[in-house]
Amino acid sequence: MIRVVIIGGGWAGCAAAVAAKKAGAKVILIERTDMLLGLGNVGGIMRNNGRYTAAEECIALGAKELFAITDKASRHVNIDFPGHKHASLYDVTKVEPMVRILLKEMGIEMHFISRAIDVEMDGRTIKGIYLQNEELLEGDIFIETTGSTGPMGNCLKYGNGCSMCILRCPSFGPRISISQKTGVADILGQRGDGSYGAFSGSCKLNKDSLSEEIRDALNSKGVVVLPVPKEDINSDKLSLKVCQQYALKEYAENIVLLDTGHAKLMTPFYPLEKLRKIKGLEFARYEDPYAGGIGNSIRYLSTSPRDNGMKVKGVENLLCAGEKSGLFVGHTEAITTGSLAGHNAVRLALGLHLLELPRNLAVGDLIAFANERIQQKDGLKERFTFAGSTYFKRMNEKGLYILDKDKIAKKVRRIDLYGIFNEKII
Amino acid sequence: MARVKTVCVDAGSEFCPCYLAELNECITCSHLQGKGFCDCGNIGICIYQEYIWCGSKKKATRGVFPAKILEKHPLSKKAVLLKLKVSKKLARQLNEPGAFVFLREKHMPHYFDAPMSIMNSSEEGGVILIAIQIRGIKTKTLKNVGNEVLLKGPYWNGILGKAFLKQVAGENCLVVAKGISQAPAVLVVNKLIKNNNNVEIILDKGNLGKIFVDGYLDRERCSIVSLDLMSSSGREYLEQKLSDRNLRLVFSAGPDKLHLEILEKLAVLNPEVLLAVTNNTPMVCGEGVCGSCSVVLENGLQIRACKTQVDVRKAMERRVLRD
Repeated sequence: MIRVVIIGGGWAGCAAAVAAKKAGAKVILIERTDMLLGLGNVGGIMRNNGRYTAAEECIALGAKELFAITDKASRHVNIDFPGHKHASLYDVTKVEPMVRILLKEMGIEMHFISRAIDVEMDGRTIKGIYLQNEELLEGDIFIETTGSTGPMGNCLKYGNGCSMCILRCPSFGPRISISQKTGVADILGQRGDGSYGAFSGSCKLNKDSLSEEIRDALNSKGVVVLPVPKEDINSDKLSLKVCQQYALKEYAENIVLLDTGHAKLMTPFYPLEKLRKIKGLEFARYEDPYAGGIGNSIRYLSTSPRDNGMKVKGVENLLCAGEKSGLFVGHTEAITTGSLAGHNAVRLALGLHLLELPRNLAVGDLIAFANERIQQKDGLKERFTFAGSTYFKRMNEKGLYILDKDKIAKKVRRIDLYGIFNEKII
Repeated sequence: MARVKTVCVDAGSEFCPCYLAELNECITCSHLQGKGFCDCGNIGICIYQEYIWCGSKKKATRGVFPAKILEKHPLSKKAVLLKLKVSKKLARQLNEPGAFVFLREKHMPHYFDAPMSIMNSSEEGGVILIAIQIRGIKTKTLKNVGNEVLLKGPYWNGILGKAFLKQVAGENCLVVAKGISQAPAVLVVNKLIKNNNNVEIILDKGNLGKIFVDGYLDRERCSIVSLDLMSSSGREYLEQKLSDRNLRLVFSAGPDKLHLEILEKLAVLNPEVLLAVTNNTPMVCGEGVCGSCSVVLENGLQIRACKTQVDVRKAMERRVLRD
């Protein structure tokens, strides 16, 4: 039986696990911490702008399971907030156990508190990966979904230091770039000023620490917009962040709060004292990162060169997905790339051609477009998401932004890929 | 690719970051090796963060203190047991398997510093015990030391495989100690007993000609056997003990030859057993600077054995190839 080993249990790793399992592999998923989903435990925004199209395309391609969970766990559906339409916000306090149950029921072998630290190579093929306890975990195909965030030293060198985020590096150990260990150099994203990495784009406030009025508004409408005092408006901060889809003027002049179970504050960090000057936030405290007043995690320090079938260039049996596979932002983008990598893991093991998603689908175009741009110098400063910025603009221009579910399903049928991720190919 | 895990024994201590961090030669932190990204061995703390918080400077290094000699007992013609008065803090820091200090006759220059294992340490009285075998230039100056000696410390890398000694609890352990190396076995045995292990101790008087630690071991909670490990009956006994399927850990205190013999026997008889050994590498500065403790591992990695915890098997294999 083909053994597919997935390194990293975030959204991309979980999607890869589901797809590889459905394609017929024995799947082993290893995760550094004690929870799946990684940054997905503090995210929550789905289906905003072009992500709606991408989610429906994935569902039509057969990658429906994880979207079914995020839809089911949504606290708010079809809400608008500055620059964004028809978003769903899943409850970050409920979603992880739901995904864990799904993977368990599918028979995916999961190992928690299992950190990959090195590789054993046989020429340009990975024979196995070494875990923290020195155990060698062997496999036929490996998928790296370790992300590009942290650990502490990187967050310090390229940011404001460890701000104690959900990744909990001091407790579970640092993320290690597996592709780099195979000898393939990482590609680094840049900020507007050319410095490396970028801050995560939001922090989360404890909802119980907010005024009753704000809490009620969040619970009923899902979004609250509060004006920032004039003297505290800092537009420069927008260029620091990962999420260029939220790097809009409205986000400098206002505090935008979204209800994801926590109150998601759409800015990388905000000094606590300034935050408490705003009406209703007088008692506010951070939930993630705990030191959201001073900084946030640093991302995009570790992207692998890959082809459009998600195989890492220069290694025979390694694929990648999520942030590891490009300067992507978001859960939808992780699930998209993860599903393709999982499916292609089995194809690679069988010696078949890898599936490349066609460019008349937003999901295929994003994967290919991000790959083209990363090879250009100015492309290293861009981030790619269906939800905004460069790529959403492109989706609009190319007529790829479609909100009619039936039309999307028909399109996927027409190109003969309907349900392809459901096919067992072994 | 041979994978070797190396961890600095001082990482996270009050002496970290040290000179090596300032010089981009940190044993653990990749940023402080001049590399751009994190690739440390997860030690639970971030040395780089600490370094930046210290204003990109090292912390204070270990001091040299005069230590009063409270008692001096000859163990043989060429060995002496010293009871030294130190601060309670230093006694507490030295109450750990693998702890050692550098000792020097107070009129001699710093290059007479001789590394000496701690045999026992009492925090309450601020008293430490050190057994010295007179065998070379440095130790000869300590033979007729007066009522005071210069002491530099604390140091902790006197044992390779320290992590095993900490993690083993409620298991069967074998301690093999020979000659002057009986001394560092005392703190190890006490630690293993504290963690509710069943401990059997094989003591060999070696060329020192004397068993001198039995009075410091809790005889009710461990069993002690004295024998000659070079005799055929001694070898047979050791082999029989090493092949016990219920054995979890072996601590070897003695020359590298003893370590190697145990290592080779375990490889055949009981490869899963954890192994910790005394670190016999020559040391001069103890700070990873002078290079006298350099060991080149099989994958070409050069380590400073005075500060680096490395897999015993890797360290031993290479040393024998070199010699």
